[in-house]
Amino acid sequence: MSNITVMPDRSAGAPATSARHERRGQRRPRKPINTQFRTAVSPHQLNTTRGRIIYWIVLVIVVVSFTAAFVFPLYWMITGAMKSTEELNAIPPTFLPSHFSLDGYLQAWDLLGLGTLLGNTALYAGGAWLLTLAVDVSAAYALSKLRPALGKVVLALMLSTLMIPPMVIMLPAYLTVKDVPFFHWNLLNTPWAIWLPAAANGFNVFLLKRFFDSIPRELLEAAEIDGASPGRILWSVVIPISRPILGVVSILTVVNVWRDFVWPLLVLPDSDKMSVSIGIASLSSQMPQNVLVASLVIASIPTIVVFFLFQRHIMAGLTAGSLKG
Amino acid sequence: MKSHKLSILLVSGLAIAAAAACGTDDSGNSGNTGDKAGAAAGSAGPVSISVNCEPPKTNKAERATFEEDLAAFQKLNPNIKISKVTDAFPCYDPRTFEPKLASGELETVFYVNFPNVGRLIESGQAADITPYVNEIKTFKDYNSSIDLFKKDGKVYGLPTDGYGMGLVYNKEVFTKAGLDPNNPPKTWADVQAAAKKIAGLGPGYVGYGEYSGNNVGGWHFTASIYGRGGSVITDDGKKAAFNTPEGKAVLENLHQMRWVDNSMGSQLYIDWPALMKAMAGGKMGMMLGAPDVLISLRNDFGGKFENYAITAQPEAKALFNGGAGYMINPKATPEQIKAGLKWIEYKFLTPGKGQFDYVRAKGANLTVGQPYPDLYGADTPSGQAVNELRKANANIDASQFAGWVEGSKGIPPKAEPGPYAQEIYKILDTPMSAVLTRKDANIDQLLSDAESKVNSLLASKG
Amino acid sequence: MTTASIPAAGGRRRQPTKLRRAVRRNVTAYGFLCGALICFAFFSWYPMVREVILSFQKTNFVDPPKWVGLENFRTVVNDPAFGPAWVNTAVFTLLALLCGYGIPFVTAIVLNELRHARAYLRFVVYLPVMLPPAVSVLLFQWFYNPDYGLFNQVLDLFHLPGLQWLNSTSTALISLVIVSTWMNMGSGTLIYLAALQTIPSELYEAAELDGAGLFKRIWHVTIPQTKLILLVMLLLQIVATMQVFIEPYLLTGGGPENATVSVVYLMYQYAFNFGNLNAGNALGLMLMIVLMVFSAIYLRVSRDNTV
Repeated sequence: MSNITVMPDRSAGAPATSARHERRGQRRPRKPINTQFRTAVSPHQLNTTRGRIIYWIVLVIVVVSFTAAFVFPLYWMITGAMKSTEELNAIPPTFLPSHFSLDGYLQAWDLLGLGTLLGNTALYAGGAWLLTLAVDVSAAYALSKLRPALGKVVLALMLSTLMIPPMVIMLPAYLTVKDVPFFHWNLLNTPWAIWLPAAANGFNVFLLKRFFDSIPRELLEAAEIDGASPGRILWSVVIPISRPILGVVSILTVVNVWRDFVWPLLVLPDSDKMSVSIGIASLSSQMPQNVLVASLVIASIPTIVVFFLFQRHIMAGLTAGSLKG
Repeated sequence: MKSHKLSILLVSGLAIAAAAACGTDDSGNSGNTGDKAGAAAGSAGPVSISVNCEPPKTNKAERATFEEDLAAFQKLNPNIKISKVTDAFPCYDPRTFEPKLASGELETVFYVNFPNVGRLIESGQAADITPYVNEIKTFKDYNSSIDLFKKDGKVYGLPTDGYGMGLVYNKEVFTKAGLDPNNPPKTWADVQAAAKKIAGLGPGYVGYGEYSGNNVGGWHFTASIYGRGGSVITDDGKKAAFNTPEGKAVLENLHQMRWVDNSMGSQLYIDWPALMKAMAGGKMGMMLGAPDVLISLRNDFGGKFENYAITAQPEAKALFNGGAGYMINPKATPEQIKAGLKWIEYKFLTPGKGQFDYVRAKGANLTVGQPYPDLYGADTPSGQAVNELRKANANIDASQFAGWVEGSKGIPPKAEPGPYAQEIYKILDTPMSAVLTRKDANIDQLLSDAESKVNSLLASKG
Repeated sequence: MTTASIPAAGGRRRQPTKLRRAVRRNVTAYGFLCGALICFAFFSWYPMVREVILSFQKTNFVDPPKWVGLENFRTVVNDPAFGPAWVNTAVFTLLALLCGYGIPFVTAIVLNELRHARAYLRFVVYLPVMLPPAVSVLLFQWFYNPDYGLFNQVLDLFHLPGLQWLNSTSTALISLVIVSTWMNMGSGTLIYLAALQTIPSELYEAAELDGAGLFKRIWHVTIPQTKLILLVMLLLQIVATMQVFIEPYLLTGGGPENATVSVVYLMYQYAFNFGNLNAGNALGLMLMIVLMVFSAIYLRVSRDNTV
């Protein structure tokens, strides 16, 4: 990776610099706004008095409005699980539960055996993530940079899979999983029934291909002249540059697998193989609403934590400079 | 450009070839399900069947009794092996039914709720069990609920749960509103008056809750018009029959409560759990529902059971029949059909066994005493046996159901409106949602529009 | 991968012919593609072919299927909800485009400018995507309640008349659009943010030296540099919103008075509630053809031959 120069000083950027600022901030509150990332707003303007005032006003507005619009539901959900059924249905709703109790959560954990379900789901999501990245990234790379004959047709066919509502092809897809043509494998109740269809994702291939298209040709040609094989170029040039979009694709894949429920309901009928979304969906119509909300909270925590941990690493710190090569 | 077109041709050719190859694979395979092979292997050997609708893990007590029954049944019938038991819930899921049927994964004995029975028979997706029903001891004691499973003199399944419609109400809310909880409404005028008082309790109180979408709106319209003595389709099933004074009365009553009395709240309830959750929330006075609603409020929705009661549907002339039953996989062999029926008989139809083992149910702290499943005629031996057992082991307050039991006596049941019930319900959602969302809804117009839609639907089905 | 790399290293010295180079490039490319081709062939293309076949058949999955020509298509076209479903879907897509397309892009540009709370804001924008739809639905049912809902309370605060939201044929669709935008904007925002991060900073510096103001810089640098992704996302979003299902299914049940019946909602009814999977397939095929024709025209009009 080092010979391809991805500007290590910048790619390490965000976490390190922000930490530095925090430390400095205690001593010197009026620090200049970090302008290491060059974006549309001019750094000079940003650090004038007027620029700063506007910046802080915008920041406060954005933080406050986003918190109100997007965090409130999370709060409502977490506290909702602590309310009784009657309180949960109260109109207007109460903002604080009338008494603090984790019973709903304990009940949900026990009732559903959420531990097993979460473990299964982690396996499905993790495997789908790895397989999707491997399959879709190499496909997008081939289509974008190697440009084989019929490449356009292949891409158009992949794109066409987005045009059809997934539930229409569910039945034939299920028959395929039950008995894979030519191989005659029965994938029911195996993780492959989730992993393989997840990798056939036209959205990912299309998106990745477009990002790879925007990588300057010179960069790859330089590596090619150095004698790097296509595989090596993909690994050492394309992937490092594309970390932001790889991060996005990873998150979309994991969240999709985590949330999908009709397909797993079909292909994972065994109750000890179930994913968490089926577990909850299939029982949602026969449990008290607060227990349902509690199980939904527990089920969403892993995705939220994974996203929170990874998005810093995946999305932060890679700036435009990395494309200079 | 030329090569471009050529390549498209090539790929599509390949795809078709692949499809053809795979197609033959499938048809070869679906004819040879594991179960069939097992059964065919030796007629002397054990018959292997699979069953569904095991209560989910969350329902510990009922799951335990189910497993007990599985073991006892196989001990009693050593030549029957129940090779697979599935516990997916809901037991009948329209989204998974056909894929499972197509792939041979569908259980030998499968659960189905009443609204879907007609169309499964119509489309040939349930086995004909006519030759075997006489081996079932209690078959002759069935009440009219069995009729739903019959077509042209043949029998395609067995009801195992059944109840007529009633009016579910919250006694606590009644008391708060100054109404007598032991003297629930007997007429629709009473319902209106009570609903108005309940809504007057303050914000969030709903006098009377009703469905309006996702086909449940039409389903409750059907229940209401049956109660008033009307019909949804003509007896021959060829024409709509709801554009009548009865149909109009249903909608006018709702419109009056929603817009004049303002006693129905403004929340729209679009699926079964929505209204149940609202009812369990303790601020809704009344809803149309069968006695299973009470048990479900207690077991599944965390409602305060002692607060609820059910009384007869006001002014009822016929009761919409709700319930569920079991059918047999159309790909099953005769041996499997026989074995499957034995299982249904043991688990669901024998007084003192399976679901009618009220002694065990009482011991397991399950509710006993609710007046359903209502499967047998009241004066048949099976009906009497079930009733006695029920009475002897009751562990719930019978008075919560007494109004319904007394008031519903002698009122004839009425079944789902034919095999296209769901299509008709969808059409009837429109007038239901219209009167609940529009003050200026033109009821005559809504009914005649729906009528012509149902007529053209039925005409197209021939 | 290794087989491809060996000739690549040695080939340069031997000066291979044009043909040999092309063959080698194709072999390598299909080597990279084979995983995807297998996955797509088995789990997307083959099921799609079968879907097409099913829409011309009548089958109960017990007896052998019958070919019925266009009967399934006739069934769905004659459904009284057929016309409204397409109109609703088109209106929904148009409205969703107005909100759902612009808002994430603007959000991404703003977030990209901020130097503080970056991780927090990205996290927060993406939260609704991660929340189970059931929770969002419960929440919005309360927000939209005409009597006690939060939205009408806020309107009341400003002395504005309350709306009927989901309860009125005129506002139900736009209410669903709001929910849909809220639920889905996180993905778009993240994708745009990723795109913004690939814009070389020299371009901004150069534009600044030319005297371009902030909005000019956005117009002349940001948008052209992200044009590829913007065009792709526009297409993908239209294709996705034309398949709107979960919002009407969970929030309105197609009502009131069919005002929120979408094409996919109708298809779901046929395939699963009416027990007429073949008619559902026919409707799905019609939607697919519409989307494909649209995409083909779109890709041509956007004069973008890289697809």
